[in-house]
Amino acid sequence: MTAYFAAATVLIAALAPLIVFSARAAAEDGLVALNLGGTIATLVFLVLAEATERQPFFDLAVVSAVLSFAGGLAYARFLERWL
Amino acid sequence: MTAVLVWILLTVGVLAALAGVVGVLVAGNVYDRLHFIGPAGIFGPVCLALAVVLDEGPFSQAGLKSILVALLLLALSPVLIHATARAAYVRERGGLELPREEPDE
Repeated sequence: MTAYFAAATVLIAALAPLIVFSARAAAEDGLVALNLGGTIATLVFLVLAEATERQPFFDLAVVSAVLSFAGGLAYARFLERWL
Repeated sequence: MTAVLVWILLTVGVLAALAGVVGVLVAGNVYDRLHFIGPAGIFGPVCLALAVVLDEGPFSQAGLKSILVALLLLALSPVLIHATARAAYVRERGGLELPREEPDE
C-alpha cells in the first residue's frame, strides 16, 4: 500500500461523518459540511489518480474542484432566497 | 529523501483535512464551523499537490493538473465560504441590513 492509497483511505473515511452530519443538521450547517466534503472529495480524486497512476483521474479532480464550487454556490443562493 | 518529503506532505495535508472535519462537527454555530473549512481548503490542496509535483515533476501532466486543482481550490474556497456565511446571515436576520442602533437620549 503506497502512501497515496493510505491518504485516500483516510480522506474517504473522513467523508463519512460529514455525510451523516449534513443529513441530520440544520440546512446552513449541512451546507458547511457539504463545502468541506466537496474539497475532500476533490483531494481524494487527486490522491487516487497519483496512487493508480491513471491520468484521467486528474481530470476528475479538476472537474470536481469546479463543480463542487458551483454546487455549493447554488445551494447557498437557494438557501438565501427561497428556503 | 523525496519519499520522506512526500510522506510528510501527505500527512500534513490529510491532517489538515481531518482537523477541518473535527472542527465542523464540534463547532457551536455556522460561523464557527466556516472558520474550520479555511485550513482544510488551503493546507490540504497545497500539500497534496506539492507531493504529486515532487513525485512526477512540475511540468508533467500530473504535476500541472495537481497545481491547477490546488489553485482552483485556493481561489474558489473563500468565495464559497463567503456565500455560505451570507446565506446563513440572511436566513438568520431576514436581510443584509445591519441592526440599527438606538440613538442615546
